[in-house]
Amino acid sequence: MRALVIDDSRTMRRIIVGVLRSLGFETLEAADGREALDLLESGVSVDLACIDWNMPVMNGLEFVVAVRAHREWRDVTLMMVTTESEHGQIVRALAAGAHEYLIKPFTADAIREKLQLLGLVEWEVSA
Amino acid sequence: MTLASETFRWVADLVHSRSAIQLEPGKEYLVESRLTPLARAAGDEDVDAYVRALRARGTVEALRGVVEALTTNETSWFRDAQPFRSLADHIVPELLGPTGTAPVRIWSAACSSGQEPYSIAMALADLATAGRLRVVATDLNRQVLDRARSGRYSQLEVNRGLPAPMLVQHFARAGADWEIAPALRTSITFAEHNLLDAPPAGGPFDVVFLRNVLIYFDLATKREVLRRVRRAIRPGGYLLLGAAETTIGIDDEWERVSLGRGSGYRLSTRRAA
Amino acid sequence: MSASIDLAAFAGTDPILTLAREVFSAMIDPDPAALRPWTGDVPALVEATYAWVDLGGETPGRVLLTTERATATRLTRGLLGLADDEPVEDADLVDAFGEIANVLGGNVKSLVPDPGALTLPTVAATSPAGPVPDLLHEVRLDWRGDVLVIALWSLS
Repeated sequence: MRALVIDDSRTMRRIIVGVLRSLGFETLEAADGREALDLLESGVSVDLACIDWNMPVMNGLEFVVAVRAHREWRDVTLMMVTTESEHGQIVRALAAGAHEYLIKPFTADAIREKLQLLGLVEWEVSA
Repeated sequence: MTLASETFRWVADLVHSRSAIQLEPGKEYLVESRLTPLARAAGDEDVDAYVRALRARGTVEALRGVVEALTTNETSWFRDAQPFRSLADHIVPELLGPTGTAPVRIWSAACSSGQEPYSIAMALADLATAGRLRVVATDLNRQVLDRARSGRYSQLEVNRGLPAPMLVQHFARAGADWEIAPALRTSITFAEHNLLDAPPAGGPFDVVFLRNVLIYFDLATKREVLRRVRRAIRPGGYLLLGAAETTIGIDDEWERVSLGRGSGYRLSTRRAA
Repeated sequence: MSASIDLAAFAGTDPILTLAREVFSAMIDPDPAALRPWTGDVPALVEATYAWVDLGGETPGRVLLTTERATATRLTRGLLGLADDEPVEDADLVDAFGEIANVLGGNVKSLVPDPGALTLPTVAATSPAGPVPDLLHEVRLDWRGDVLVIALWSLS
């Protein structure tokens, strides 16, 4: 499994990348939506994109719309990871084609559980 | 900071006597982290000092607070996902049938702060259960039951395993928190209940959720709890346990049945009374 | 109307304090008792460091964090999971402290009626320039003995 982490904060990218690697993902990073699109257009294929909303150049919502406009990228699972937390914003992101929505702040467990819901990580048998 | 072994033993005995939950050695960190806020609130230097004071002159309320602090579990929505799919895709459609009108009775045992019963109600919201769903949700911890009843959850709590489409469909923002829709709350009755007492009112149940509870008990207590659940479930009803739990080797009156990709337990027809 | 938060609606709990506790417990310091309201006067800050985001829309406002540089360094270590003695680069401090302002600001935005867009965070060694805005609400926090002030300002 390969994941693309899109966030203008390198701190946040490091945190998310750390969690994803511990779950067995290979990771790529982009600092805004445009950089992320460039990666996809260059032929890099990913299973998951974790997407911040507020970023310079191209924001996360614009990125989601752009990805959904390409049939060849329809298998990419899109999860917003953002501090935008109004009810209406979550509705907008889901309507644009995001599959999941994680609100900052989050814990590592919260990322794992969202990816389990999305079928990208197995449910562990925990005692 | 390390907890004195004397402190741990006393707390473990207290919790065991009040809740039957066994705090094994190695859980010292849990005692320390859960009781530190209580110690600070009481003006004690640390948990050891707090417990010494409790042993000398602890009130019933203070002892209850200790038990509650240690028996509250962090819970996530749709934990393990599969039991809720089994419920919505296999169990409830069978119970509803083409013409049935009987209520569907579900017991969510040891429901903690309510994520499980609300997940049950959300999982069934799209089925034609209109007015027929009756969920009884119980816990021995009064404090978490009050939270469950309020239907109000923090941002961190709604982040835990709740699918975003369900969040926007069933919750509204309430200040820094999120509040569940009143329509979902009306199908659930919350009640204080100890698993070692007689079953709660509202049965016999078609389905009992008893998930990630037995793991905290010793073998004799597990057996006692399952024996009581047998009396709460109707013939042919289903028991759903946590992913790491089983009745096998504990209580032979149950048989494992597969429910789609998951599984549950039913009272064995050959021996059920 | 200026950006307003109906504090009365929260029955004595302060939503900004609640949000700050969530940010700390999830991402910076798991000990729930480590963050509490500051009691007494806030001392003069050594190497004061500021991070802020602005909320646009109908009710423009600003969420401003103020702390000492040493505290911002410790916050950065907390976020990145670094040991107490690990060095912190300037760029990491600016990014991490700014991200804390961003996360708090985004959550505060959800409390404000008719919120607009959130700006990207700014981090500086001086308080933001420009006309003096109105202070709407301030929370002074004590994080393991360090002071952190979270203020909500009206920009209208």
